[in-house]
Amino acid sequence: MTRMQDLIGRTTVHSRLYTDAAIFSQEMHRIFTETWVFIAHHSEIPQRGDFIRRTIGTEPVIVVRTATGVNVLANRCTHRGNLLCQPDHGRKRNFACQYHGWVFDPDGNLVDIPYPAGATADRSKLGLRRATVDTYRGFVFATFAKHPVPLLEHLGNARQALDRASDLSPEGEIEVGRTWVKHLFQANWKMLSENEADGYHVNFVHDSFAKGIKLQGKYDNVLTSEEDKFTAVVRALGNGHTELDYAATYQQPLTWLGVKPDRYPGYNEAMYSRHGEERAKEIMRAGPPHTFIFPNLFLAETCLVVIQPLAVGRTVNWHTPMMLKGAPHELNQRILRQGEVAMGPSSFLTADDAIIAERQWRALDGSPGWLDLTRGLDRETIREDGVVVSHYTDEAPNRGFWQHYLRVMEPGAMQVAA
Amino acid sequence: METLPQAEFQTVQDFIFLEAKYADESRYDEWEALLTDDMMYRVPAGDGHDPSDLAPSIINDNRSRIATRLRQLRTGTRHSQAPISVMRRLISNLTVARHGADEYRAEANFVVYEYQTQSVNQIVTWPGQVQYALRRTAEGLRLCGKTVWLIHRSGPIPTLSFLI
Repeated sequence: MTRMQDLIGRTTVHSRLYTDAAIFSQEMHRIFTETWVFIAHHSEIPQRGDFIRRTIGTEPVIVVRTATGVNVLANRCTHRGNLLCQPDHGRKRNFACQYHGWVFDPDGNLVDIPYPAGATADRSKLGLRRATVDTYRGFVFATFAKHPVPLLEHLGNARQALDRASDLSPEGEIEVGRTWVKHLFQANWKMLSENEADGYHVNFVHDSFAKGIKLQGKYDNVLTSEEDKFTAVVRALGNGHTELDYAATYQQPLTWLGVKPDRYPGYNEAMYSRHGEERAKEIMRAGPPHTFIFPNLFLAETCLVVIQPLAVGRTVNWHTPMMLKGAPHELNQRILRQGEVAMGPSSFLTADDAIIAERQWRALDGSPGWLDLTRGLDRETIREDGVVVSHYTDEAPNRGFWQHYLRVMEPGAMQVAA
Repeated sequence: METLPQAEFQTVQDFIFLEAKYADESRYDEWEALLTDDMMYRVPAGDGHDPSDLAPSIINDNRSRIATRLRQLRTGTRHSQAPISVMRRLISNLTVARHGADEYRAEANFVVYEYQTQSVNQIVTWPGQVQYALRRTAEGLRLCGKTVWLIHRSGPIPTLSFLI
């Protein structure tokens, strides 16, 4: 069996990590089953009995709201393995299998077997497999690990990104609706994960956006071609989490939304009364996070993005706008329209990212070899809290991603010195 | 529904076929010349039953955003259409009705066969229903609305950056 440490160095990774189906299977187990993954936002299932279907890696699960919280259950009848719940969303008191009628309650307990006189199975041992679930500011995470680290420990420095997204709401919460746009990438999931905090590609992959948009906009700073003019930065946050930060490029509140600071007076008032004027103005200036939370969540400024691996060369990028609870409807409409510019199969940005990822996957599959991740090694700085900060075009996030990946995939591996 | 005189139906159908031809051949300037200044171009996502007006779409362009979309396509570095897809579409089951003094509403089924030439080099099929809003103007018929209901709009769909 291939050792991961033979494929991952400090500044180099091997292409097989993106194209080998055996490694993909191992990732589904070690990363997606055994560590925390983002599964839903609680606003998607607001009432008791509300459920949605999701996956943990490639494993189908049901996410259901109960009287006491949120349960994540394996979507697989314990009798003959039939998919227990087919609809994408809905409201149910119980989940009844359509094959032989076994019934499970929202806690996963097997509560009924039809024709009980012939039933010899021990019901207490045939409940649905239940994930450990924890929530931070409405973001629901789950894991099938037997002894998971606490969620807050996993989130580490990325927790501040969830605060940053939520604090833009006058009620301190984002809201997610029912509709997600799902964009198929014929590429490996890690190509999406790594691209989320790759500042280097922007001027090349998105050249046509820069030229087409004509107007001054929120990305002006990074659409410059002079290396010393960038003020946006990249960060490796630890635990595989990474981000781009545009805060330094914004002089005024709401530049990130493409509007003047006084565009939504009601929003400003509500934010001032929640946070105090000075703090509110700073939150509204710094804007939303552009943060990837390992392995499958991307807070894409005004969009919530989930990376769903299907197979070694197939991935679905889900997105939906992050509405700010309590904000004026017009502001949320703007968030919606702005998200449609950036994300999705026909968007001005990710449509091109998808094509590049697909080309990259084909080249790596046909032409295996080592990839270079040295960029910025000599100019990154490590903060006291361990966060690595570097120039917007540097590869510190990739290096942080792969160091964590190695730790998770091969716990006993010799760690490469930082 | 009132039946249109054959000649009037023919005029609308001819226009719809011309619009389809320009889209198939990625003739952006000629396609854009068919649009009114208030044209809306939509490709909804999801199951189609989401009552929220904050539900995201695959495309929801007003005229200004269509113009930006076309400028981006013309740069030559829109990687998802460089090179452009090779396409042909079939339009059938066309119905046309008058709408107010100077407009028509039309509906048709369609399928686009796209040879995706940018990365995967495969045939991609795009089936669905298309709704048109057309207006009679001094320059002839113009397109003021186009809504494309893909049948797989609630599932994962590949990159769609050509004119559908």
